[in-house]
Amino acid sequence: MRHFLVMTAFAALAAIVFGTVAKDTNRDRLVYGAKVFAEFMVIALVLSWILYFIPF
Amino acid sequence: MSKDNETEHAPGMAWVMGMVGWLVPGFGHLLQGRWGRALLLGGAVWACFLAGLWMGGHLFVVTGTEQGWAALMQVPPMIANLGSGVLYGICWFFGVGFADDPAHAARATYEYGNTFLLVAGLLNYLVMLDAFDVSAGRKS
Repeated sequence: MRHFLVMTAFAALAAIVFGTVAKDTNRDRLVYGAKVFAEFMVIALVLSWILYFIPF
Repeated sequence: MSKDNETEHAPGMAWVMGMVGWLVPGFGHLLQGRWGRALLLGGAVWACFLAGLWMGGHLFVVTGTEQGWAALMQVPPMIANLGSGVLYGICWFFGVGFADDPAHAARATYEYGNTFLLVAGLLNYLVMLDAFDVSAGRKS
Protein backbone atom coordinates (compact mmCIF):
# COMPACT_ATOMS: atom_id res chain seq x y z
CA MET A 1 0.00 0.00 0.00
CA ARG A 2 2.82 2.35 0.90
CA HIS A 3 4.50 1.70 -2.46
CA PHE A 4 1.29 2.64 -4.22
CA LEU A 5 0.94 5.85 -2.20
CA VAL A 6 4.52 6.88 -2.96
CA MET A 7 3.97 6.16 -6.65
CA THR A 8 0.75 8.21 -6.59
CA ALA A 9 2.49 11.14 -4.90
CA PHE A 10 5.29 11.00 -7.46
CA ALA A 11 2.85 10.91 -10.38
CA ALA A 12 0.83 13.80 -8.92
CA LEU A 13 3.86 16.05 -8.37
CA ALA A 14 5.27 15.39 -11.83
CA ALA A 15 1.84 15.89 -13.42
CA ILE A 16 1.40 19.25 -11.67
CA VAL A 17 4.66 20.55 -13.12
CA PHE A 18 4.17 19.09 -16.61
CA GLY A 19 0.60 20.33 -16.79
CA THR A 20 1.47 23.84 -15.62
CA VAL A 21 4.47 24.47 -17.85
CA ALA A 22 3.25 22.73 -20.99
CA LYS A 23 -0.08 24.40 -21.79
CA ASP A 24 -1.47 27.91 -22.03
CA THR A 25 -5.04 27.78 -20.74
CA ASN A 26 -6.22 26.47 -17.38
CA ARG A 27 -8.48 23.93 -19.02
CA ASP A 28 -5.65 22.57 -21.19
CA ARG A 29 -3.37 22.45 -18.17
CA LEU A 30 -5.91 20.46 -16.19
CA VAL A 31 -6.54 18.01 -19.02
CA TYR A 32 -2.85 17.54 -19.79
CA GLY A 33 -1.95 17.18 -16.10
CA ALA A 34 -4.66 14.55 -15.64
CA LYS A 35 -3.44 12.75 -18.73
CA VAL A 36 0.17 12.71 -17.51
CA PHE A 37 -0.95 11.48 -14.08
CA ALA A 38 -3.02 8.69 -15.62
CA GLU A 39 -0.16 7.67 -17.90
CA PHE A 40 2.28 7.46 -14.99
CA MET A 41 -0.14 5.33 -12.98
CA VAL A 42 -1.24 3.00 -15.77
CA ILE A 43 2.26 2.39 -17.14
CA ALA A 44 3.64 1.78 -13.64
CA LEU A 45 0.88 -0.72 -12.84
CA VAL A 46 1.31 -2.54 -16.16
CA LEU A 47 5.09 -2.74 -15.70
CA SER A 48 4.62 -3.94 -12.12
CA TRP A 49 2.44 -6.84 -13.23
CA ILE A 50 4.86 -7.76 -16.02
CA LEU A 51 7.78 -7.77 -13.61
CA TYR A 52 5.73 -9.78 -11.08
CA PHE A 53 5.57 -12.72 -13.48
CA ILE A 54 9.25 -12.66 -14.41
CA PRO A 55 10.89 -15.30 -12.20
CA PHE A 56 14.38 -13.80 -12.02
CA MET B 1 17.70 39.35 -44.48
CA SER B 2 15.69 36.14 -44.41
CA LYS B 3 13.61 35.19 -41.41
CA ASP B 4 15.81 32.16 -40.76
CA ASN B 5 18.75 34.40 -39.90
CA GLU B 6 16.83 36.46 -37.36
CA THR B 7 17.62 35.74 -33.74
CA GLU B 8 15.40 36.58 -30.83
CA HIS B 9 17.15 38.20 -27.89
CA ALA B 10 15.71 37.67 -24.44
CA PRO B 11 15.81 40.65 -22.07
CA GLY B 12 18.37 40.56 -19.27
CA MET B 13 15.62 40.33 -16.66
CA ALA B 14 14.55 36.99 -18.14
CA TRP B 15 17.99 35.56 -17.37
CA VAL B 16 17.77 36.91 -13.83
CA MET B 17 14.32 35.35 -13.36
CA GLY B 18 15.55 32.04 -14.73
CA MET B 19 18.54 32.13 -12.39
CA VAL B 20 16.41 33.04 -9.36
CA GLY B 21 13.92 30.34 -10.35
CA TRP B 22 16.70 27.79 -10.36
CA LEU B 23 18.20 28.96 -7.08
CA VAL B 24 14.93 28.98 -5.11
CA PRO B 25 12.23 26.80 -6.68
CA GLY B 26 9.14 28.89 -7.42
CA PHE B 27 10.80 32.22 -6.60
CA GLY B 28 11.27 33.16 -10.27
CA HIS B 29 7.51 33.15 -10.73
CA LEU B 30 6.87 34.78 -7.38
CA LEU B 31 9.00 37.79 -8.30
CA GLN B 32 6.95 38.20 -11.46
CA GLY B 33 3.71 38.22 -9.48
CA ARG B 34 2.64 34.81 -10.75
CA TRP B 35 1.44 33.60 -7.36
CA GLY B 36 -0.59 30.66 -8.55
CA ARG B 37 2.13 29.37 -10.82
CA ALA B 38 4.75 29.89 -8.12
CA LEU B 39 2.67 28.00 -5.58
CA LEU B 40 1.98 25.09 -7.91
CA LEU B 41 5.43 24.73 -9.45
CA GLY B 42 7.51 25.72 -6.46
CA GLY B 43 5.30 23.70 -4.14
CA ALA B 44 5.64 20.60 -6.28
CA VAL B 45 9.44 20.86 -6.42
CA TRP B 46 9.79 21.59 -2.70
CA ALA B 47 7.41 18.75 -1.82
CA CYS B 48 9.28 16.36 -4.10
CA PHE B 49 12.65 17.32 -2.59
CA LEU B 50 11.51 17.20 1.03
CA ALA B 51 9.71 13.89 0.48
CA GLY B 52 12.92 12.51 -1.02
CA LEU B 53 14.93 13.55 2.01
CA TRP B 54 12.28 12.22 4.37
CA MET B 55 12.40 8.84 2.64
CA GLY B 56 16.15 8.69 3.14
CA GLY B 57 17.24 9.48 -0.40
CA HIS B 58 20.85 10.13 -1.32
CA LEU B 59 22.20 13.32 -2.87
CA PHE B 60 25.04 12.77 -5.31
CA VAL B 61 28.32 14.65 -5.33
CA VAL B 62 31.65 14.07 -7.05
CA THR B 63 34.02 13.77 -4.12
CA GLY B 64 37.17 12.77 -5.93
CA THR B 65 37.50 9.56 -3.94
CA GLU B 66 36.12 7.51 -6.85
CA GLN B 67 38.26 6.74 -9.86
CA GLY B 68 37.51 6.34 -13.57
CA TRP B 69 34.01 5.21 -14.48
CA ALA B 70 32.84 5.26 -10.86
CA ALA B 71 33.59 8.98 -10.72
CA LEU B 72 31.97 9.62 -14.09
CA MET B 73 28.82 7.78 -13.05
CA GLN B 74 28.34 10.29 -10.24
CA VAL B 75 28.14 13.22 -12.66
CA PRO B 76 24.68 12.77 -14.31
CA PRO B 77 22.79 12.28 -11.01
CA MET B 78 24.73 15.14 -9.48
CA ILE B 79 23.61 17.41 -12.34
CA ALA B 80 20.02 16.29 -11.70
CA ASN B 81 20.39 16.99 -7.96
CA LEU B 82 21.96 20.38 -8.63
CA GLY B 83 18.70 21.39 -10.30
CA SER B 84 17.23 21.86 -6.84
CA GLY B 85 19.38 24.96 -6.45
CA VAL B 86 19.74 26.29 -2.94
CA LEU B 87 18.02 23.21 -1.45
CA TYR B 88 20.99 21.14 -2.60
CA GLY B 89 23.38 23.80 -1.25
CA ILE B 90 21.73 23.85 2.17
CA CYS B 91 21.84 20.05 2.38
CA TRP B 92 25.50 20.09 1.35
CA PHE B 93 26.30 22.75 3.98
CA PHE B 94 24.62 20.82 6.78
CA GLY B 95 25.69 17.40 5.49
CA VAL B 96 22.11 16.18 5.13
CA GLY B 97 21.36 13.51 2.53
CA PHE B 98 24.96 12.85 1.51
CA ALA B 99 25.50 9.83 3.76
CA ASP B 100 26.55 6.82 1.71
CA ASP B 101 26.66 3.93 4.15
CA PRO B 102 25.06 0.45 3.98
CA ALA B 103 22.71 1.14 6.91
CA HIS B 104 21.37 4.20 5.14
CA ALA B 105 20.95 2.34 1.86
CA ALA B 106 19.14 -0.50 3.62
CA ARG B 107 16.09 1.64 4.29
CA ALA B 108 13.05 0.36 2.42
CA THR B 109 12.35 3.78 0.95
CA TYR B 110 15.96 4.57 -0.01
CA GLU B 111 15.46 4.12 -3.77
CA TYR B 112 12.18 6.03 -3.68
CA GLY B 113 13.97 8.86 -1.91
CA ASN B 114 16.73 8.87 -4.53
CA THR B 115 14.17 9.09 -7.31
CA PHE B 116 12.25 11.90 -5.64
CA LEU B 117 15.44 13.91 -5.11
CA LEU B 118 16.61 13.40 -8.69
CA VAL B 119 13.22 14.26 -10.15
CA ALA B 120 12.86 17.34 -7.92
CA GLY B 121 16.01 18.76 -9.50
CA LEU B 122 14.94 17.85 -13.04
CA LEU B 123 11.48 19.34 -12.53
CA ASN B 124 13.06 22.53 -11.25
CA TYR B 125 15.03 22.84 -14.49
CA LEU B 126 11.63 22.90 -16.26
CA VAL B 127 10.32 25.45 -13.75
CA MET B 128 13.43 27.58 -14.31
CA LEU B 129 12.88 27.55 -18.09
CA ASP B 130 9.23 28.44 -17.56
CA ALA B 131 10.19 31.44 -15.40
CA PHE B 132 12.59 32.51 -18.15
CA ASP B 133 9.93 32.17 -20.86
CA VAL B 134 7.29 34.03 -18.86
CA SER B 135 9.70 36.89 -18.18
CA ALA B 136 10.78 37.02 -21.84
CA GLY B 137 7.14 37.26 -22.91
CA ARG B 138 7.18 33.95 -24.72
CA LYS B 139 4.43 32.60 -22.46
CA SER B 140 1.30 34.20 -21.14
